[in-house]
This record gives sequence, C-alpha cells and structure tokens, in this order.
Amino acid sequence: MKFMNRATLAAAAAVSAFAIPTAAFAEESAGGADILIPKMAEFVPALIAFLIILVVAGKVAWPKVLSTMEEREKRIADSLDEAERTKQKAIEDRATSDALVTDARRQAADIVLEARQDAEAERARIIAAAHTEAEDIIAKAHATVEEERRSLYADAAGTIADLSVSVAAKIVEKSLDQDGEQRRLIEQYLKEAGSLNAN
Amino acid sequence: MEAFELLPDEINHLVSEFYSTAVAGDLNVGLTQYSFWLLVAAVVLCVLLFAFVKKQTLVPHGLFVNGVEYVVEFVQNDVAKGVVGTSWRRHFPFLATVFFFILVNNFIGLIPGMKPGTGAIGCTAALALCSFVYFIYFGIKKHGVVGYITSLAPGGMILPMRVFVWVIEVFSLLLRPITLAIRLFCNMFAGHIVMGSFAIMASLFAEPLLNQVNALNAAGALPSLAWIAILIIIYLVEFIVAFVQAYVFTVLTAVYIQIAESESH
Repeated sequence: MKFMNRATLAAAAAVSAFAIPTAAFAEESAGGADILIPKMAEFVPALIAFLIILVVAGKVAWPKVLSTMEEREKRIADSLDEAERTKQKAIEDRATSDALVTDARRQAADIVLEARQDAEAERARIIAAAHTEAEDIIAKAHATVEEERRSLYADAAGTIADLSVSVAAKIVEKSLDQDGEQRRLIEQYLKEAGSLNAN
Repeated sequence: MEAFELLPDEINHLVSEFYSTAVAGDLNVGLTQYSFWLLVAAVVLCVLLFAFVKKQTLVPHGLFVNGVEYVVEFVQNDVAKGVVGTSWRRHFPFLATVFFFILVNNFIGLIPGMKPGTGAIGCTAALALCSFVYFIYFGIKKHGVVGYITSLAPGGMILPMRVFVWVIEVFSLLLRPITLAIRLFCNMFAGHIVMGSFAIMASLFAEPLLNQVNALNAAGALPSLAWIAILIIIYLVEFIVAFVQAYVFTVLTAVYIQIAESESH
C-alpha cells in the first residue's frame, strides 16, 4: 500500500512535469537569465532517474536498511538488558554464596568446637577410667600382697610349729641338756621365728 | 597587469562553458552535459546503495558500510525523526533518496572533468517538483483537498484577514519549489564558477612564465601560488557545501512535509 502511494505520487509528479507548458522551457541555451529556465533535456531525465531510484530504493533498499538498523538497535538494547540482569543475578548469587560460605564456616567452627569438647570429655572419661582401673589394680595388688603375706605368715607359723616339734623331738631324743644344747636350740628357734615374722 | 586585462573575457568564456549544451539530441529532447552526469550519478547511487544493502550486516564492518550507515542515521535522526516527527518512517524513503541523490550528484561534480547534475536548473527543478508534489499529496491525504486548502490560512482571524493571509500563504507555497530549485542550483553553479575563476587566474598569471622563463615572469607568476592555495581551500569548502546543500534541500522538504501534515499551519 505504501509503495502504491509512492507510485501514485511518482505518476502525479510525472504528469505535473509534462503538464507544464513546453514554452516555459528554453528552446536553446542563450546565456544570461536563460540559465534560470529549466531545459527539458535536463528536467525529464532528472525526473525519471529520480523517480526510478525513489521507487526501487523505497521498495528494496530503505526498508531493509531500516530493519537491519532497528534489529541491531533492538539486539543491543536486549543485550544491555540481559547484561544488567546477569549482573544483578551475579550480585545476588555472590551474596547467596557469601552467606553460604559464612554459614558453612560457622557450622565448621561449631563442629570443630563440638569435636574438641567431645574429645576433651572422652579424654577426661578415659583418664578417670584409667585412674579407677589403676586404683582397682593397686587395691587388688595390695589385697594380693596382704593375702600373700598372710599366707606366708601362716606358712611360717606352720613351719615354726613344725620346727618346734622337730626341736622338741630332738630335745627328747638327745636327753635334754639344760644349760647347753637345749638352750641354744630354743634361742635359734626364736631367732628364726622372729625373722619370719619380720617378713 | 596583462592577466587582469584578460580576466573578464576568460571569466565570460568560463561562464559560457557552464551553460547547458546538448550532447545528444537538443535541449528539448536529448541529453545535456549536466543530465549526462546526472545519469552517471544515478547509476553510481544505485551501485552504492545496492552494494551497501548487500554488505550491511547486523554487526557492520568496514569503512564503507560504517560510513554510509553514519549518513543514513544522520538522515534518519536529524532530518526524518527530528523534523517530521512521529510519521518519520513513512517519509524516510523519500527524504533519504532525495538526500543521497543530491549528495552523490554534488560529489560527482567535484571530480575534475565532471559536472554536477545539480548544477543545472532543470535537474534541481525536477527534484523540487517531486518534493512539492510529495508534500502537497500528503497534506491533502491528511486533511482532504478542501481541508488542506483552507488550512493554509491560520484560524482565529476575521474572514477578510484570513483571505488575505491565505493568498500570501498560497504564494509562499508556490514559491517553495522555486526557492528549493534555485538555491541548490545557484550554490552548485556559483561554487564551480568561483573555483573555475581562481583556476583561470592561476593559469593567467603563470602563463608568461610557462612561455618564457625569466626573473620578471617568475615574479609575475608568484600570485598564482596564492590563487592555487585559495582554489584548494575553496575546493575543500565545496565538499562541505555539497553536503550542506543536500542537507538543506532535504531538511526543507521535511519541514514542508511536517507543515503540510500539521493540524494548523
């Protein structure tokens, strides 16, 4: 429709041009004021050339030129908008990731602290258990020693008794010597009994 | 100085060379040197446009694509969007075609040995007529025939005053294509005349030295250096003029379109 209008316009211009009385154009170049009078040999070719270029360029060239330039303008505007949106998203993502990192660091610190506390408690528990066990072992050792001592003491008492019986038997067999041998044996017995008791 | 005595005749000869001359047919049916170079410029414009369209990608590469895109964006933002307003998209193809058509013609004319298509009133008149028909068409399309005609005069005035202003506005409207055509033609024509004049002066002052080398002729040829320097400066300025005139023609067309489509003039 647009080019129909342009074609109508071109036709109107051409009709107007040919409608102008030919007498208005100089027959021959004579100089002077004649230079300001249009010559048909210049007017008509110029009119036709211009109208042809107008119609052809108006149909083929200018719409494509304009659409390309507008497409470029639109793409640049879209790219700038997209870049702005991407920038805003990057800022938001950065803020989110910063928050995540901060939270992760806080959680890690909490975990480390908790682990330290757990380790400390475990250490204390182990030490306490070790202490208890050591005390038990010591107590058991004491009891064992006491038992051993008692056992040895009992053994010693038995041995003393046996020794006494043996000494008494020897005294009986060798007709007791009041001042000499008997007395020496009893003293030896007491000496041995005393040393055993001392252990 | 002899050079100054020869100058008027040489300038007249130069100006006469800028008059339209038929290179095929006659001045009514045929081609002049200007229309020939205009057709060359049209072909160049088509080649440039299609090369640009073919090479243009989402990510522009190279000086050519970036350079053309820069100019297209200039027309889009500073002329179409900046002047026409919300309906810029509908008018961009026309404005861009006008701008590039004039620009390429102007630049073609700056190549030594070539002529600018816009250096002939017939060519600029054709462009101005297209511009005129274009904005009248869209004015009528927006307001209707009667609505557009009556909208030429502002409201809120007593009837006789409104009629008076309407007549003035109609004259103003009819003068628009004429001023568009003459402004562009005169700027391009005058620029080339000025450059040609300085080139003639440089050659006139240097001519005795080229014929016979001696101290006197060498001293007399010294001003040629100044004329050549001025010629180079004007040549560089003409590149700016070529761009500015394409811009002025296009932006005025955009203004006329905006006025034609506005609710009240």
